Amino acid sequence: MEMLNIEHLTKLFPLKKKLFSRDQQYVHAVDDISFKIEKGKILGLVGESGCGKTTTAKLLVRLLKPTSGKIYIGGEDIAGLKEENLKKFRKNIQMIFQDPYESLNPRLTIHSTIAEPLIAQGLYNLEKIHDALEVVGLKPPEGFLYRYPHELSGGQRQRVAIARALVIDPIFVVADEPTSMLDVSIRAGVLNLMLALRKSFDLTVLFVTHDLAVARYMCDDIAVMHNGKIVETGNAEEVIRNPKHSYTKALLSAVPIPDPRAKRERIRIRGKVV
Amino acid sequence: MKKIENKKASQIRQIWALVRKSTFIKLGVSIMILFGIMAVFSPIWIHINPEVYDPIIGADPNVHGSVGPSLQHPLGTDDIGKDLFSQLLRGSQVAFMLGMMVSVFSTIIGAAIGLIAGYYGKIWDTLLMRLADIILTLPRLPLLIVISGIFGTQSNWIILLILSLTFWPIISRVIRAQTLSLRERPFIESARVSGVGNTRIIVKHLAPNVLPIAFYYLTVTVTGAILVEAGLSFLGFGDPSNMSWGMMLQWCFVKGYVFKAPYWMIPPGLCISLLAFSFYLIGVGLEEMVNPRLKKR
Repeated sequence: MEMLNIEHLTKLFPLKKKLFSRDQQYVHAVDDISFKIEKGKILGLVGESGCGKTTTAKLLVRLLKPTSGKIYIGGEDIAGLKEENLKKFRKNIQMIFQDPYESLNPRLTIHSTIAEPLIAQGLYNLEKIHDALEVVGLKPPEGFLYRYPHELSGGQRQRVAIARALVIDPIFVVADEPTSMLDVSIRAGVLNLMLALRKSFDLTVLFVTHDLAVARYMCDDIAVMHNGKIVETGNAEEVIRNPKHSYTKALLSAVPIPDPRAKRERIRIRGKVV
Repeated sequence: MKKIENKKASQIRQIWALVRKSTFIKLGVSIMILFGIMAVFSPIWIHINPEVYDPIIGADPNVHGSVGPSLQHPLGTDDIGKDLFSQLLRGSQVAFMLGMMVSVFSTIIGAAIGLIAGYYGKIWDTLLMRLADIILTLPRLPLLIVISGIFGTQSNWIILLILSLTFWPIISRVIRAQTLSLRERPFIESARVSGVGNTRIIVKHLAPNVLPIAFYYLTVTVTGAILVEAGLSFLGFGDPSNMSWGMMLQWCFVKGYVFKAPYWMIPPGLCISLLAFSFYLIGVGLEEMVNPRLKKR
């Protein structure tokens, strides 16, 4: 069963018009992409910087309004919903942001931060906040509730962000490079936590990353994105072992081999990212 | 809940530690406390002998014409035997009340409008900011004179209202600029993903983050309000049922004692400058705390 089904999703950003110029020009940030995620699976969205990964993520949680296309979540199209009607669906879909130093309000305690989604849905309950903190490994919860973000480490903050996303039991989570700002030593901890949570919460996840090693470790399927288009999709192992598209090959050739003397032949990418 | 209280207490201690380090704030607060004592002392001084010392209706029947400082009248009297010291004390009350209330009101209005314009953008931004521009470009003192002329009877409440309505645009411009940059920060986006409504985002997520700046402008506004009130009173648009420093200066000028009675002329002028200066010092000190780039190494 498909949890998420995206059809012909497009997002154009208008460029500033030149003086006296009549035709409006656009940046095609996301250009007619379609993909599906089955229930309980993790899809990795990989690609270089500026290829439209984060824009796609923001479109799915409707931080941005798509120019055209459909986003079906559990059978319901949310692409055209107005801001007022989005509230109900926000219970089902949450996002984990890239930078835990930026995504937590510095003036709110951990308790207030995690309580926000609950209050918004009218479900406030201290027990749930306790549980969420415990689930993400911040124990004992009482020790963290009334702290501020600046008193926590990067890994702890990202765990708080994950707790905030999971506290209202969403069915679909978008994770936008959740470990790219973290220290390598704690990266694995957060990744394993997400894998464990995905099992226990039966989550469907869109995992945005530029790190192919992380994508291979985390994801069931991989979609490779280039210049706003999806160029290749398939089973994670399959895509990485046996890439079909030339861009995927080029991307894989950029991953260093863990041997200082070995040198891989780099494939140069043609086609500019605007 | 005890934890929260402890946190709050330790935060206050931290702020206090910062305040104690700043010479500007220490000096400003000292001057302010001095005027605070004066304001509190006013009713006590009147109580000694209301018929002589009341700043509005009292007068010393034994005095003819303005006399200089004496034991009974520490600052002397005006031309009809009213005690100048009592007037000065009452003036500090008025200056404090008016200055504080104007700055609090205009900061609240300015912050609200700045937050709304900055967060909602588009048509709201245009409408509110053009309104602010219009008020900013109007010359303040002539405008106040015209408006207080329209109202006819002057009272401190009308002055308060007019001052608040003309002071908010400065604050709202600054708050709007702050909001514009805060709005794009990921923690606001994550609040929106959490399903938090617009009103709550403004109140709970944006407002606390612009508070330090708003507080700095609050102190700057007090200075402006005190000076403008003094100016208005000096021009004869003050509250005639009360006494303020500006009004003392006006009477001194109207009665022709400017060069004859320095004991009448100098104290209110000095008080206006000093109180305005004290708030300015606090503002500068706060700005140093808010804006780390100004900090000395």
